[in-house]
Amino acid sequence: MITQVPQPVLEVHDLTVSYDQHPVLWNVDLSLPAGQLIGILGPNGAGKSTLIKSIMGLIPPTSGYIKIFDKPLQEVRTRISYVPQRESVDWNFPASVLDVVVMGTYGKLGLFRRPGKKEVQVAQDALEQVGMTAFANRQISELSGGQQQRVFIARALAQQADLYLMDEPFAGVDMATETAIFQLLQDMARAGKTVLVVHHDIHSAMNFFEWVIMLNLHLVASGPKDQVMTEELLRKTYGGKLNLLTQVTDLIRKQDFNPLKS
Amino acid sequence: MEDFLYFFTFQDPSITWVVLGITLLGIGSAYVGTFSFLDKKALLGDAISHAVLPGICLGFVLAGEKDPRYIVTGAFLSGALATFLSSWLKQNTKLSEDSIIASILSVFFGIGIVALTAIQKSGNPEVAGLNSFIFGNAIGIAEADLFLYGGLSLAILLVLSLFLKEFRLMVFDPGFGKAIGFPMKGIRFVFNVLLILAVVIGIQAIGVVLMAALLITPGAAARFWTDRLQPLLLLAAFFSILSGILGTYISFVLPQMPTGPWVVVFLSLIALLSFIFSPKSGVIRRFLARRSYLNKTHRDHLMKALFKAKEANREVLSLEEIHALYPFHKKEIAHSLQVLTKQGLVLQDSQGVRLSPQGTSDAMRIVRLHRLWEVYLNESMNIAPDHVHESAEQMEHLLTPELEALLEQRLNYPTLDPHQETIPRESHDA
Repeated sequence: MITQVPQPVLEVHDLTVSYDQHPVLWNVDLSLPAGQLIGILGPNGAGKSTLIKSIMGLIPPTSGYIKIFDKPLQEVRTRISYVPQRESVDWNFPASVLDVVVMGTYGKLGLFRRPGKKEVQVAQDALEQVGMTAFANRQISELSGGQQQRVFIARALAQQADLYLMDEPFAGVDMATETAIFQLLQDMARAGKTVLVVHHDIHSAMNFFEWVIMLNLHLVASGPKDQVMTEELLRKTYGGKLNLLTQVTDLIRKQDFNPLKS
Repeated sequence: MEDFLYFFTFQDPSITWVVLGITLLGIGSAYVGTFSFLDKKALLGDAISHAVLPGICLGFVLAGEKDPRYIVTGAFLSGALATFLSSWLKQNTKLSEDSIIASILSVFFGIGIVALTAIQKSGNPEVAGLNSFIFGNAIGIAEADLFLYGGLSLAILLVLSLFLKEFRLMVFDPGFGKAIGFPMKGIRFVFNVLLILAVVIGIQAIGVVLMAALLITPGAAARFWTDRLQPLLLLAAFFSILSGILGTYISFVLPQMPTGPWVVVFLSLIALLSFIFSPKSGVIRRFLARRSYLNKTHRDHLMKALFKAKEANREVLSLEEIHALYPFHKKEIAHSLQVLTKQGLVLQDSQGVRLSPQGTSDAMRIVRLHRLWEVYLNESMNIAPDHVHESAEQMEHLLTPELEALLEQRLNYPTLDPHQETIPRESHDA
């Protein structure tokens, strides 16, 4: 059940990704429509984060390619915004909430130019959108998990992009915050932005996403929520690792080179 | 005293130059080192500073004398080789980072010492001052050398201020930097060059063995005082300059004294004082916070005892009765009663001790929190009634009014705790 769309915002073409010699995503081929809130679902180790990271160019593909707004990534970087997993940074770093959110403006600033009044204003607006204005001068180590997550989302908003990629933005977030953030993301989608979210909770996925991608090492489904959130596809996604694919992966790891590399 | 005045009034132009040099060197190495410390790569600086020794020897052999240009170039190249090797080994072997750094440090330093010994045996009359590169000698720096070291320090500061935003990103979130299209590998490369340069400028004044301390300690000490990057850098630079000048002064007064070890002694002293006196995480601060908390719990317990007596219709408890409740704590009881009386929470007279109206209300709140927490543990966390007391003894001092309101709401204003004791509330609340 894979629905392709004409004039996609994002096109992933036959993407295979390996860590060292360990394939973690097999032949993912999908295209996504603009202006939607899109969820990426799948069990642990299904390759959800890997898909986002390869779209952002953080992991080189073993084979296949990605096009965003019908262009290669390098040409459209400033139109894409990225929220990494919260645990990927050291929150003891000496910085205020505002310092971190201002980093969202670095991409458009480019190298060597210092952020000025305009950048600080953009960051303040982003903080207001996530309801963190009162925390602007707070040291980041004093924040709770949910607040840290909102700071990261504010930084992404400060990037003022058209496509947003978010890696587990709801991990360690309480229910009230989750609902508030989801509403913000829905507003963004309504304003024509495309928001791609790695998510683990099927229940809230049912409520909030319009389009759903299901992964389990390979692409199980990609399409409008009503068509793909079926019992059969969910079982395919969450029904454990595929035995045969795991054995093939082990076989590839034992080779002296990566045979999948094109 | 005469020496002190002579040194610090800068009558001697050569002293002025040395102090200026040590100041520039201090700022440069503290800035670069603070980033390296925040990046948790402190050991790399140590490895590089040991690894420049073979380069120093090579420079000396090629020039045939102590020409600073040859020595600085040799040191830089040898430091660069060590840095490159450490990242190459990390990428291409399964060795862990600490073993790689330990091996590079010892291999390079070993080669350096062998070369140094060989040069000293060669009979070259120029060899005399070469030993000062091991532990440093700021006073021995010639004016011409100072221009080279000072110029390099200025260059470091210039590049660093240009790259401030990029280095911040490199340390905090390099993945994000890559995602927004910044050349993170290039930025890391520039930083490594600065790190090697920061080591190289210190070899004459501080020496290769201890240069790492001048990189890391200022930032580590300053981290106790501030949570912001810019004040952190400034404070680190200040600590570095201060100990640099003091160390230089010592080796001026006592000519046999190497500068490096003395700089490190002063730096360590600053770090130790920071560790003890830091207002947010210092030893003293934590000790005082703990003591004031213990005192508060003790006062809370006294008020609770008075309140429970009141529940049993006894308004006044004699001092003897209170002492009997908390044997072996006479001194604490006296102190707590003194504070509580001063706060107007208890009243003392010839009969004994009783709670004031405000004291009754405060004590009631402590008992209420205790019993509410017991109900919460029992009902919401399925903990047996005989297992809830210990936890409630701790939580009664901690729970905030907000959490109290939340507990009341969640538990729907219970009247009895798991031991069938009444949960006390103000009459106008009920």
